[in-house]
Amino acid sequence: MEVMPKIPKSWNLETKPHKFCPGCGHGMVLKALGQAIDELGIQDRMVFGCDIGCSLLSWDFFNVDTVQTHHGRTTPVMVGVKRANPELIVVAYMGDGGGYAIGSQHLVNAATRDDKITVLLVNNTNYAMTGGQMAPTTMPGQKTETTPYGRDVSEAGYPMMGPEMVAAISHEGAYVARGSVAKFRRLKAYIKKALENQMAGRGFSFVEALSTCPTNWRTNAQQTWAFLEDQMTKQYPPGELKTPTGKEA
Amino acid sequence: MEKTALKYVEKEVHQGKAFFRIFPGLCKGCGLCREKCPEEAISWSEELGVYGTPTVVADPEKCIACGACEQVCPDCAIAIERKAKEKE
Repeated sequence: MEVMPKIPKSWNLETKPHKFCPGCGHGMVLKALGQAIDELGIQDRMVFGCDIGCSLLSWDFFNVDTVQTHHGRTTPVMVGVKRANPELIVVAYMGDGGGYAIGSQHLVNAATRDDKITVLLVNNTNYAMTGGQMAPTTMPGQKTETTPYGRDVSEAGYPMMGPEMVAAISHEGAYVARGSVAKFRRLKAYIKKALENQMAGRGFSFVEALSTCPTNWRTNAQQTWAFLEDQMTKQYPPGELKTPTGKEA
Repeated sequence: MEKTALKYVEKEVHQGKAFFRIFPGLCKGCGLCREKCPEEAISWSEELGVYGTPTVVADPEKCIACGACEQVCPDCAIAIERKAKEKE
């Protein structure tokens, strides 16, 4: 028997190895999403929308129908797809720059309208594709290209707490969670619950995944995990913020 | 996927109870698996990966086939397979 790598069935094998940098967290988030798609068996009725930024490199990642749109506009495009054909399962995949900066109004409005879509947002604390500039999620004191002395909260403000905001404005039936690629199984469970919430038609589903960016953080493997697990999880505590039943299940 | 990606290096680990397989055509040499290994069993290998960086190899003595490296690999380059128990 031919031995194959343990790649999710929904991945497009012809485009592997994928285009992300070595050590990029996108691979892990997309692996979790791929495994969730496989386990739910929804590959044939799924539409995947990716955003501008590093997340657009996932345009040929899956063997599912894929749309690529402009900054943060993935959310309204996917809302349109879902409204046109409610049978489809849609996933809007974006980075923190697309989702929280230029596309935040779409995220806010989709959450307020309680559209039955799943938004998967990858937070790596900078604009990675353009060279690591400061993003809304850059942590206080973190050095980036545009904050060479560290982010000064008196000038640049505080980082954006996305899931907390979505949990506050969304309605009953919404699912909001924050996972981390360091806790892979839990992240996969969150993504699966978000997809199930959409399939049940209960409401808006939002998952933020804390991710890694060794290229722009300029870290080695050890420092990458340390930054993600020690510093980022303090600023952004992972967990479920809102579940359809009310409390954490 | 190109045919080169299907090549793999196999090693028996965990007292011969499991296989540690690495696919050099997928490995980008990020080293995230080395840091996540609870037994510190993974080290750099002579085999080069897709970007010409070293891939990894598991120490058969230390590896317990827990699968932590397989989970965190962003490229699915590591595959741990436990052998089925032989019938007596």
